Formats: sequence, structure tokens, C-alpha cells
Amino acid sequence: MIRTYFRLLALLSLVGAAAAQAPAGVPAMKPPLAAPAAAAPAPPGAPRTITWEALVPADWDPFKEFKGIDFQMLDDGDPRANEWLKKMRQAWDNAPVNPELVGQMVRIPGFVVPLEDSKEGLKEFLLVPYFGACIHSPPPPANQIIHVLPKSPVKGVRSMDTVWISGKLTTGKTDTYMGASGYRIEATHVAPYTEAAR
Amino acid sequence: MEGAAVTALLQIATRSAWNRRGTLALVVLSIALATALLLGLERLRSDIRGSFTQSVSGTDLIVGARTGPVQLMLYAVFRVGGATNNISMDSVRAVAAHRAVAWTVPIALGDSHRGHPVLGTTVDYFTHFAYGDRQPLVLAQGRAFAGTLDGLYEAVLGAEVADRLGYRLGQRITLTHGLRAGSGSELAAEHADKPFTVVGVLSRTGTPVDRTVHVSLQAIEAIHLDWAGGAPLPGVSIGAEHARKFSLEPKQVTAALVGLKNRVAVFNVQRFVADYEAEPLLAVLPGVALDELWAAVGLGERALMAMSGLVALVSLASLVAVVLAGLNERRRELAVLRAVGAGPRHVLALLATEGALVTLSGAVMGAAAAAGAVLLAGPWVQQRFGITLQATAPTAQQWALFGAVLLAGMLASLVPGWRAYRLSLADGLTPRT
Repeated sequence: MIRTYFRLLALLSLVGAAAAQAPAGVPAMKPPLAAPAAAAPAPPGAPRTITWEALVPADWDPFKEFKGIDFQMLDDGDPRANEWLKKMRQAWDNAPVNPELVGQMVRIPGFVVPLEDSKEGLKEFLLVPYFGACIHSPPPPANQIIHVLPKSPVKGVRSMDTVWISGKLTTGKTDTYMGASGYRIEATHVAPYTEAAR
Repeated sequence: MEGAAVTALLQIATRSAWNRRGTLALVVLSIALATALLLGLERLRSDIRGSFTQSVSGTDLIVGARTGPVQLMLYAVFRVGGATNNISMDSVRAVAAHRAVAWTVPIALGDSHRGHPVLGTTVDYFTHFAYGDRQPLVLAQGRAFAGTLDGLYEAVLGAEVADRLGYRLGQRITLTHGLRAGSGSELAAEHADKPFTVVGVLSRTGTPVDRTVHVSLQAIEAIHLDWAGGAPLPGVSIGAEHARKFSLEPKQVTAALVGLKNRVAVFNVQRFVADYEAEPLLAVLPGVALDELWAAVGLGERALMAMSGLVALVSLASLVAVVLAGLNERRRELAVLRAVGAGPRHVLALLATEGALVTLSGAVMGAAAAAGAVLLAGPWVQQRFGITLQATAPTAQQWALFGAVLLAGMLASLVPGWRAYRLSLADGLTPRT
């Protein structure tokens, strides 16, 4: 696992060298469920369709602290590797939210990770940008997870089903572990994902 | 006019059917059994899912020794199957110290009381564990065990245990080592030297909690003090009172339930547990593990539903066969009807009505039988498996199945109807030799 991280990092530093102005954020988190990047301007009041990239503030750079480090110089078992990995994990766990989106009505597709199930249906779940996120791989940054509280329980949705959700994007409580960085949507609408949906 | 004709047709159909009640009763019975099978299976399926979903709520992660997610979940919450290993209390403390973790409740399983699982835990269990829709556990009588040395040998019973064994507060019980008591005293590894006193009984929850005897973790340590290598140490006996002098700090538990401050952190804690270096651990999200279970069980469920669907088809085929075979005997009857002015359409309607009536009575009987079976077997299933079967109004799926049986029956009875439609008047009136 650690090795995968560093391969990724090495790759990133190469890419970074080639295109120094590559969009900041989390290049590894390219969502496969991308909504149209340039969505048509929604009529007022209607939720705006957004992408997972939009949830990352434009000026956030998780690799800020690692500027000038050549990861390719690391040997296997280098003690610095673990330390850096921990640091990076922390940066990802505390990834900030995009203030421009908070408070807006949005619509976003994603995969479901159930949290609270009941007889009436799913009452609470997390929405993540790619299949298997968080279950089989390191968890995505905090700003790539949305805590969804549907208005009414959702029936017939299981782990890793794809859905469209729409509602007001807010942030979780600030006094908790994740700081202000947890997104939360009290979803007014949860619908199965369809490619053509606009 | 139309109404009168329909009534007349119904009357004729009923009387004619009554005339052949022996054979038709058998068909009704087979349709009833098939319907009962379909509806009963659907009830069982939805109630098992409901029961499982109800059993845990508000718990964000279950941490245990490394095994499969489904197995850990089944064992820790439903007391089904067994643990592959224990985890050390140090690991549980490490998880509890994670900054995203709000609470941890360690649980120790492995002992039993007359077939009911014994759960060693802390007093926190009664505040943090929730079921259904975040409903907390409620004590119907008495109080929770004290969790102190003075209240070392105190037990809190689930509702089912208390009801079934007729226990009340103050009852003295002994625990059995292992999961099932032997029938006689020859086959019983009893912790008889350290009896427990019932201090509380929980309200009914409809979950595995009802079947569980709750004691403190220290008590679990205490009853195993004079055990080593899986058997009582020969010649060593530590009395119930004497045991209090030993260190009863639990060193190992089976699993721990974990609640988080912010549920978004669930993946971080899960990863923290998975990467914990001192011991291989596994953390599962209950909802995800349950979905994995349904994905595995779903195949079997579909096979069972397909089988009972086939059974329904077979009984409808027997309906067609019986009515078709009856046509031959009824050539005269139908011919007389035709002679007094009934058209071929009326004959078709007559036979279709007969088939529909037979299907309807069979389906209604089947539904009643399924409901009766749920009522009768419900308490036993609850006690044996901890699954609450609901004798309530049919679910949407059950209505759909019921409708499907009726519809299929009506379509099937068009077959003999069509055959009779084609028979000419002359055919019935000409005696054959």
C-alpha cells in the first residue's frame, strides 16, 4: 500500500515538473462519474449540477509541504517515507471545503456507502466519487466525501449503487474531528444514476 | 340483463363445480399450498432482512480479529457463527484513543446459559448500543449490572431469555463454558462455582439482544480464573469471593463496537484499524457488511423464489389438466346448455369462471395458511433464530405474488374454455361408443 502511494507520488512529481501549472487539488481523484463540466446554467432555484472536482477549492494543494522533495530518491524502507505518508494522510484528512459551493443547491452523482439502514429504507449514507472508495483502498480526501441525510428514507439502494442526489450543500459541525471540512447534504432528492440525466 | 346473465353464469359455474367437488378440492388444495409457499417465503425473506437491518443502529464500525466482514458482523451482532480469534484489549484502547472515535464498547462472547449466548461487556453497552431506528436499550425491570467488584456476579437478561426460562429479578443462574449446554450433568462444563444474580431484564427489542445474557467483562475474567488451556485446572479452585482479589482487568475481547464523533471520518478510522500494526484487525461498516451478506444470500433467495414459482405453475397446470379431463365427462352438460340457448362464448365464460373460482379459493386459502403459519411458527422462530416474523398486513411484494397467482390461474383456465368453445353442439349430443 505504501509503495503504491509513493509510486503515485513519484508519478505526480514527474507530471508536476512537466506541467507546473497542472490544476491544483487531487489529480488522483479524477471521478469516473463526472457530470458535464460546463453544465448549462440552471434556472434560478433549481440545483446546479456540479462535479467532484468542484468540491476541491481551486487553491488547495495537498503537496504544498512536499515541494522540493524528490520522491524518486527514496529507498525502500526509508524512515522518511512513513513520516511523509503520515503527513500527507493528514493533509488529505483535513482537506478544506470549497467555500464558493457551501450553501448552494447542488446536484451531484456518486456511489453510496450506507450508514444507517432501517425498515423504511436508507436514512443516512456517504456519497463517494468512485466505486470501492474507502472500502478497498485508502480513503479519499475529506472534501471528496459527502454525508447525505435524505429527507425521506431511500428504498432499494445498496452499497456502491450509483445515485444522483440534489440538495443544499452545507458543512458538518466544526467542533468535530474533521474540522470544517466535511461536506453534508440534506438531500431533497435521491434518484438512481442515469447517464443522460441532466 | 347483463347483470342477471352474469349472476346466472356464476350460479351455474358454482353448482357445476360443486358437483365435481372431490377432484376440484384437490386442485384447490394444491393451489393453496403453492400460494402459501410463495407468500410464506416472501414474508420470511422480507422479515429476515428487516430483522437484520433492525439489529444494529448508531454503531459506525465493528472491530474484530481479521476475518470476513460478513462473518465478523454475523458473530458480533447476530451471534451466528464463531470468531476466528480474540483481539487484545490494548488494541481496543488504541482505537478508542483515535481522535475521531466517540465511544467504544468491547464485547466478549463464547459462554452461554442454557443455549442463550452470554455477552461480556461494559456498562457503556446499555447507553451506546441502539437498535431499529436509533432506539436505545430500555430496562423493563431492575437495573444494569454495576460493573464494579461488589456487583461482579450480576447479569442482565434479554426479554426472550427471561420469558422463556421464567426468570425474575434475584434469580440465581450459572453460566456454561462454550455455546451449548450438554443435556445431562455428564456433558456440562458449568461455571457452577460462580453463580450470577439477575439484576435487570431488558424490554423486548425483536433483535438478538432478546436472547442474550449480559454480564460484565470482569465477570467473564472471573469465571475463567481457574481455567487454563481450555479446561478447569485440576486441583485448583478459586471461590467466587476469592476471585475478587485477583486482577480481573480483561486482556482480550471478541470484538468492539465503535461510534464516531463525525460519521464522515468512518473511512479514516477503518483504515487506521486495518493498518494497526500490533495486531491484525478488521473494521467493518455494519451497513456495508449487511449488503455484502444480501448480495451472497440473494442468489439463494432468487433460486427459492423461482422454485416456488415453479410449484405454483405445476399446480396451475394440474388445474388445467383436471378441467380439461372433466370436459369429456361434461360433454352432455355443456351440450344441454348449448341446446337451451347458450352460445359458445357462454361456455367459454363458464369454464373460465370455474377456473377463476378455483384459483381464487385456492389462493385465499393459501394466504390464510401462510398467515396462520407465521402466527403459529412466529414465537418459535423468534426464540430459535431471533427473527421476528410479522403477522401484519401483506407487503406490496406479497400482494403482487397473490395477484400473479390469480392472473395466471385465470389465464390457465382459458385453455379448457377455448377447448369447450371449439366443441360443436352436435359433438355433445351424439352418443359415442
